[in-house]
Amino acid sequence: MTQRQKNRFLSTIEGYLYLAPTMIVLAIFVFLPVISSFSLSLNRQAPFGNKQRYVGSENYSKLLGEFAECFTAEVCGDYGYSLYVTIIFTLGTVPAGLALAVLLAVALSYPLRAMSPIHRMLIFVPVVISSAVAGVLFRWLYHPVVGYLNYWMTFVGLDGPDWLTTKRWALVAVILVSIWKNLGFNTIIALAGVQNIDNSYYDAAKVDGANVWQRFYNITLPLLSPTLFFLLIINIITSFQTFGEIDILTEGGPGKATTTLVYSIFDHAFKGTPQRGIASSEAYLLALMVIVMSFAQMWVLGRKVHYQ
Amino acid sequence: MQTDTKQPFSSQDHILNVVLLLIGLLVALPILIALLTSFKVPKEVVTYPPQMFPTEWTTENYVTAWNSNPFGRFLVNSFIQTGLITLGQVVFSVLAAFAFSSLRFPGRDVMFYFILGSLMIPFELTVIPNVRLINGWGWGNTYQGLVVPFMASAFGVFMLRQFFLSVPKELHEAAVIDGASNWWYLWHVMVPLSRGGIGAFSIFAFLSAYNQYFWPLVITNDVEMRTTQIGIRFFLVNVERGADWGAVMAATIIVSAPTLLAFFVAQKQLVRGIAMTGLKG
Repeated sequence: MTQRQKNRFLSTIEGYLYLAPTMIVLAIFVFLPVISSFSLSLNRQAPFGNKQRYVGSENYSKLLGEFAECFTAEVCGDYGYSLYVTIIFTLGTVPAGLALAVLLAVALSYPLRAMSPIHRMLIFVPVVISSAVAGVLFRWLYHPVVGYLNYWMTFVGLDGPDWLTTKRWALVAVILVSIWKNLGFNTIIALAGVQNIDNSYYDAAKVDGANVWQRFYNITLPLLSPTLFFLLIINIITSFQTFGEIDILTEGGPGKATTTLVYSIFDHAFKGTPQRGIASSEAYLLALMVIVMSFAQMWVLGRKVHYQ
Repeated sequence: MQTDTKQPFSSQDHILNVVLLLIGLLVALPILIALLTSFKVPKEVVTYPPQMFPTEWTTENYVTAWNSNPFGRFLVNSFIQTGLITLGQVVFSVLAAFAFSSLRFPGRDVMFYFILGSLMIPFELTVIPNVRLINGWGWGNTYQGLVVPFMASAFGVFMLRQFFLSVPKELHEAAVIDGASNWWYLWHVMVPLSRGGIGAFSIFAFLSAYNQYFWPLVITNDVEMRTTQIGIRFFLVNVERGADWGAVMAATIIVSAPTLLAFFVAQKQLVRGIAMTGLKG
């Protein structure tokens, strides 16, 4: 070996040594499971013990069958229903959450060049606390007898429901907590987007006599659209993966009213008799949905960077 | 949208500011209520209509919370778990980010795409095989079972690489000409110059490790090995049996104290880091 080749060899070794710790951990706990959970998803676990039996695509066709029942039968099968719950949860959480965040961001950008520490702190605290703590706090606020929420509702003449124990309201309750928990994150990102908009647009619009609403609708919203798209995807992914709040608040119930796709995976894999084959199939389908959304996001953000 | 900073605040701005403060208080209200409730005497906690402020302040709930579960044990577990995960993620990410930003070797870019790709793989896909693997190694109910799967962070590698790329290349070249090794340069020049970025990432790593729920829930079932986030469930079980919400609220405050403290100390970096990367860590 020439000296040059030797140096090249040594610097390659050096580079891989720096990468080794991260690559080894990711290989074992992220990449390997991608393969092993696929093979798990082709098996069924015997009811007793840990015996696996190869069943091919049976788990997947069972899930898709349960989904198809939504269209062919009176009621959805379990999987179809948890997909339905997830979609309702997402529709309830994301648009409302983003609208609130944009309103807050625009309002915050008016008097303040940068958010004052006190505003930032108040709005951001729910993001910092854990989903478990958020769940516990709202168990208390939703309490039908001593909870604050139903008491406040009496002020506006409303009779608060049994939030966590009625099928219809349990999902609403979980949606509200989720909006609340993510509001700070969304507001920070939206505010950064609003503050990136060049002031000269607004100055020009003011000269032309545009009012606040016109300026918001014709300048802020279009120029904020890349940020909004980013937030939209991130929020959909987050709501597809929400777990802790649901586990503490409702444990997927009452019945299956708040059993989202993630909760159903948890249910099948870790509660009662483990059914890890079917749970792995569900995880695979969920992962596909999340990965498609990630690609959509990269694609659009790539375009955004390109055009800047 | 912004008024020029040179202009003094108008009265309209002041009104908006007050409105925003009220909105902020509304957002933080559930936590403020928990804080206030935790200082109430038990009988005041459950009066109807509920009162916002305690008439008589007491720390009794904290004592009750502390004694009703192995709370000290939960906290110790959480500190060990969070400390080791944070340390691992920071050190491993510094090493990998250095290789990606400052060293040249064949296969480097392919490796980088691998790491970026891993960011897309959702946790749900990996959790079932990982539980089998960790339990297979006999690591269920152990600290290594809680920690080892999370020792590396693709997000950290990505974030720190961005910081390292902003350090002028000439410094590295000069150091190498002077006979310094890459290793020396990393720890004596690169790391000190990137303190801000490393600090920001450490806080992200700390918060997300401490707030973990799914993994500690499924990898431990021994009470002695539970972390605070899982331990807080035990308080709810007590409540259903008729114990008091004051103690539960005290427990949520104790559990949240480390994260709130970290947030108060480093909120500027944290919020800036989020605005910059668009990620929660």
